[in-house]
Amino acid sequence: MSRLPPVVIDNGTGYTKMGFAGNTDPQFVIPTAIGLPNQSRHGIASKRGIEDLDFYIGDEAISNAKTYGVKYPIRHGQIENWDHMERYWEQSIFKYMRCEPEDHYFLLTEPPLNAPENREQMAEIFFESFNVQGMYIAVQAVLALAASWTAKNSQQTLTGTVIDSGDGVTHVIPVAEGYVLGSSIKHIPIAGRDITAFVQQLLRDHGETSIPPEDSLEVARRIKEQYSYTCHDMAKEFAKFDADPVKYYKRFDTINSINQSTYSVDVGYERFLAPEVFFNPELVSSDFLTPLPDIVDTCIQVSPIDTRRGLYSNIVLSGGSTMFKDFGKRLQRDIKRIVDGRVKKSEELSGGRLQAKPIDVNVVAHKKQRHAVWFGGSIMACTDQFYQFSHTKAEYEEHGPSICRHNRVFESLA
Amino acid sequence: MILLEPNSYVLEETLLARFTSEKPEIVDITLVDFDNVVYHVQTSAEQRNLLNLSVEMKYFNEVVEYGAQDILKREYGDYLVPTANPQYQITLQFNLEQLPADKAALAKHVSMLKRNMLASSFIRAFEYWESQQEGAGPLMTTHYRDNEAIYVQAQQDRVTVIFSTLFKEEVDRVLGKVFLQEFVDARRQVSIQNAPQVLYSSREPPLEIRHLSNLRQDESVGYVSFVLFPRHFADMESREKTISQIQLFRDYLHYHIKCAKAYMHSRMRLRVQEFLKVINRAKPDRVTAASDKRTATGRYMRPHLRQPTSPQHVESDW
Repeated sequence: MSRLPPVVIDNGTGYTKMGFAGNTDPQFVIPTAIGLPNQSRHGIASKRGIEDLDFYIGDEAISNAKTYGVKYPIRHGQIENWDHMERYWEQSIFKYMRCEPEDHYFLLTEPPLNAPENREQMAEIFFESFNVQGMYIAVQAVLALAASWTAKNSQQTLTGTVIDSGDGVTHVIPVAEGYVLGSSIKHIPIAGRDITAFVQQLLRDHGETSIPPEDSLEVARRIKEQYSYTCHDMAKEFAKFDADPVKYYKRFDTINSINQSTYSVDVGYERFLAPEVFFNPELVSSDFLTPLPDIVDTCIQVSPIDTRRGLYSNIVLSGGSTMFKDFGKRLQRDIKRIVDGRVKKSEELSGGRLQAKPIDVNVVAHKKQRHAVWFGGSIMACTDQFYQFSHTKAEYEEHGPSICRHNRVFESLA
Repeated sequence: MILLEPNSYVLEETLLARFTSEKPEIVDITLVDFDNVVYHVQTSAEQRNLLNLSVEMKYFNEVVEYGAQDILKREYGDYLVPTANPQYQITLQFNLEQLPADKAALAKHVSMLKRNMLASSFIRAFEYWESQQEGAGPLMTTHYRDNEAIYVQAQQDRVTVIFSTLFKEEVDRVLGKVFLQEFVDARRQVSIQNAPQVLYSSREPPLEIRHLSNLRQDESVGYVSFVLFPRHFADMESREKTISQIQLFRDYLHYHIKCAKAYMHSRMRLRVQEFLKVINRAKPDRVTAASDKRTATGRYMRPHLRQPTSPQHVESDW
């Protein structure tokens, strides 16, 4: 009997991506939100009927926010409320994915530096409540690396630096042969949300009065996604725009969400200024001023010395905020510049006696960047090894949730 | 979500996204439904505007005997491809340029495909009842999962539906048993006297199917019989509703067992929190009244150093 495809669920802070393995895109991308009825006075033990089934998840939770209290069970990538999360999974499996968990293997994700206790909790819920056949918990950054294997210039290794930029935070995570180098992880408090806010501010500044205030954020987000690109040099780009505005200025036509009338917005400098936020954070922030290439460089420099070449040669982008046109090229150029500068300086200091082997800097961009983690999971769950690496129900019954502390991917390496 | 929907939400969403997208992209998507049904949505290799939906259904040959082919022709005749793709049983083809105006309705209708296929034995039984024949009709078996089956049999005045279901785990078996016994009891309430009669037996198959040879008889098997009376299927509307609800019974049951476990886990977590509070309260007080005294320099007195028996009484200031 052919096996049914495994289910891949990537629960993120903002959005949950879920789908069946083997597909190139997740079937559902819904907010990780759960709408619960306002709690009765007597608490949880007073249940008499089926109140515990009365809740919504995802977009439905948001649209029912007036009558249901919306809760976000995941904070900073980590599951905070297991009660809510268990029910969230319950509905995502039975209503959204519509599958019988007993027939499937599951691939779940965890953030880097997740506590093993959380992994055990996850295993307990999936094996005890849902009786899944088997499960595997993968680190998000490692899956993002796996997703880059489809790119043309990829090296198909599990060593590399992952730049994961979603809506809330940007992480730079070095991974060596599948191990996350926890001590070298860097965070940047600038991500999609800040860029959208910046675009919104720019639109306001150049007097786009036609945008209704209630659509303002949405319009800014769509302009950011449709028209932004990364430039080579900010000053030159300004000059280019001023010299030939007709060519570079764009017009964004949209419909007012309330009275359905059409209006248009002029899109100018924000086209290249939006992604520029990563390279010149002083545009939006007054306390965080280190550009992304510098952060990536420091991150690799604090990693073990024997991994650094591998980390430089495979810098992988993941998440929606890395989707800007030519973002990878610009990042590669800037990092290359820093690295070459350092190599040159050390050669000078040695008085020309030492000659360094040039360091290869390579930023990998690919088409599946937006849901790279999910896509990597989908690829991984399609391989035959997936079933070998997964923890099965029988093992769980034999040893208990502690089996999830061990990752069998590394067994062959040891 | 109390009831499960009869249609496949994920299939509906996937198809609708394809139907409404402006430029046809090449897609190759595999989806799953309850009871080992696999859908494969794929753009045709030659023509981009053709979208194929292939369905793999293990019990298709069984339902064909009960007239599934006719249902298929009636419901999806415009899209049905005569020979299904290899290893699939049904293939529908949609021309994305010639879709009806109401695309959402079409997507919804197609997502009911599995439900309509499984409905065939029910419809056959209801038709038998309508024909007012003497005696019991044929016993129709649909092995909707490995080792689990639905049996439908029409009698002169009623239609009996029997589910056999398998519990893989001990805990599930116990919960399922309690749940189903409650089902039988709840039926006695005055407010739901119109509901079909429900009988539950674990291990022992009911009389209607006892003559079948290949029945499993061990602790993990449960049999649930529903007795449907004409009021449940006399008019078309209630007939469709009955079919939709009763065929999802197995998934519904297993869903609720899982929800019950999740609820119990919530209670357990709450209880552990309460116990932790009690334990934390039981910590001995570290600071005693005597040691609260401080010297002029702000240090604590140490009572155990000031023993009255010692000859030199040192004012403990250290």
